[in-house]
Amino acid sequence: MLKRRPRPILYVLVALSALISFFPIIWLILTSVKTQAGVYAWPPQYWPDPFTAKNYVAIFTKSPELLRSILNSFIVGTGVTVVVLVLGGMAGYALSRLRLRFAGPTMILILAVSMFPPVSLLPAIFQNFLQLGLLNTYAGLIIAHSGLFLPIAVWMLSSYFGTLPIELEEAARMDGMGYLRIFLTVILPLSWPGFVATGLIVFIFSWNEFPLSLVLMTQSAMRTAPVAISLYPGEYSFPWETISTATVLAIIPILAVTAIFQKQIVGGLTAGIGK
Amino acid sequence: MAQVRLQNLGKTYGALSVVRGVDLSIDDGEFVVLLGPSGCGKSTTLRMIAGLETINEGELTINGTRMNDVDPKDRGVAMVFQNYALYPHKTVFDNMAMALKLSHVARPEIQRRVAEVAEMLGLTPYLERKPAALSGGQRQRVAIGRAIVRTPEVFLFDEPLSNLDAKLRVKMRMELQQLHRRLGVTSIYVTHDQVEAMTMADRIVIMDAGEVAQVGTPRDVYDRPANFFVAGFIGSPAMNFLTLRRAGEGWQAEGAALCLPALPFDTGKLDRLTLGIRPEHIEVGDQTTGPWCFDAKVELAELLGADALLNLGVDGVEMLARVNGTAHPERGDSLRVKLPPDLLHAFDPATGGALPRKA
Repeated sequence: MLKRRPRPILYVLVALSALISFFPIIWLILTSVKTQAGVYAWPPQYWPDPFTAKNYVAIFTKSPELLRSILNSFIVGTGVTVVVLVLGGMAGYALSRLRLRFAGPTMILILAVSMFPPVSLLPAIFQNFLQLGLLNTYAGLIIAHSGLFLPIAVWMLSSYFGTLPIELEEAARMDGMGYLRIFLTVILPLSWPGFVATGLIVFIFSWNEFPLSLVLMTQSAMRTAPVAISLYPGEYSFPWETISTATVLAIIPILAVTAIFQKQIVGGLTAGIGK
Repeated sequence: MAQVRLQNLGKTYGALSVVRGVDLSIDDGEFVVLLGPSGCGKSTTLRMIAGLETINEGELTINGTRMNDVDPKDRGVAMVFQNYALYPHKTVFDNMAMALKLSHVARPEIQRRVAEVAEMLGLTPYLERKPAALSGGQRQRVAIGRAIVRTPEVFLFDEPLSNLDAKLRVKMRMELQQLHRRLGVTSIYVTHDQVEAMTMADRIVIMDAGEVAQVGTPRDVYDRPANFFVAGFIGSPAMNFLTLRRAGEGWQAEGAALCLPALPFDTGKLDRLTLGIRPEHIEVGDQTTGPWCFDAKVELAELLGADALLNLGVDGVEMLARVNGTAHPERGDSLRVKLPPDLLHAFDPATGGALPRKA
């Protein structure tokens, strides 16, 4: 076997690019523990002096709307993930495995639909939702986000199903299973990694989505985290330390969800099907 | 126990025809092997019998019942797949019991049948394991067991041994033969390995480019290949072919000096034909003289162990001969070879069909 030579330049470059990509987050976290004076100090304060937890205390005591917005985002994100995984899973399976006549064109069409910028759909969605009474409801934003992110889920899941050996389904057919039973008892249990990965991406996309969330949730109690944070600055003040703190708090649920499900992305779950 | 009949069976994908006009009648308890190079339509034919591919042309009957549009599970067939296709998230027991569960067989009956088959295949200690915890051979046994448990009318095997290493393949081949003798179930077995076909089959169906090239016992297809394709496909190393031109009473090799006397075939009005001789049928070192003996020079000698392969130049014609490996001739040696007329084959170069022997 070839022995790997240590490549110091490579490590330096990797470290550098990691630092560059993480810098905004590091800066965010540092800002959230600075005092207001520290934030506006000149020359800029790289290391918070003094450290303070005051901003976090302030958010929990003085800005319940920010906490509420994080809860809203969580509710919407969870709802969207569930809806998209159920519909996307079934659609993806049908399109990848049932030898449908127009499966190829349908996949392209689904992709094409997702190319429209969400803003261009806004007037139509807003008017319909207004008439249906879906503005400022969780159901409304969940439906809107689901429509937005369903295409990517269909694509991701159908390509994941494509990696499972077709013989497995054929064996199931020989055993006497129908398509629905094959999907539920063979495909689903083997597709957990695909569902977890897709679910995570959809959850994060929904969590970060801005334009629809801004327009469809107009009451401050219903706002999602990104909207609430962006609207937080007052007319005359720009409290960076508070905004940073809120942002850090808004990142935590995503980090938590990722951390929890990363353990579930068990590699080798499909091992043992074939050779 | 079942008789399977394929009548003019055909499969097309759009304009592409992959299987055409397959006629085959398989008797109860017979072991039939579909053999051919990849892409010859043998797997597609098997999958049409299984019900995994729709039948575009012709008719499939099992025990006289038309099966063209019958659901796979209701055809009374069980299939063993090349890559085993076990449910990786289910235990060996559940893998084997699945079909019975789905057809609502009572739980004690399932237990009894799975236990019996597991015992037969030596899988009893592994019933609670998942497939990932088994070796390749064990997985293949589970796949076979899953088929046996259903007590099907017909077993279908789709290259079941080709994922196993050479040693295990030989072992499993023998096990499958024993199993067939014991169960006596009609079996249809697809492979591209002629050794598997020759050793296991009651009858071999050789397929080429979507059509049946010959149906016969292993001896038939080896001794009396019906055409050029079968002659070249069966046997290893492959049969030597040379193109001959009529020269008076006898025949001369095209582009070479080799002349042969009148051939024992019904050559009719042909003035060209393809002559075939198997490497193992060329007699080397025969000192006798006669019309079928020629001078030859060894151009290359390869020792395989028990046998040796000799590349011979016979009056300007290249031939491969298979001889005993002990004390075989070396490169550069001159020797005499005999082409025994009884072991020659002749084919019409236009149709590829074998020419009949003179009575």
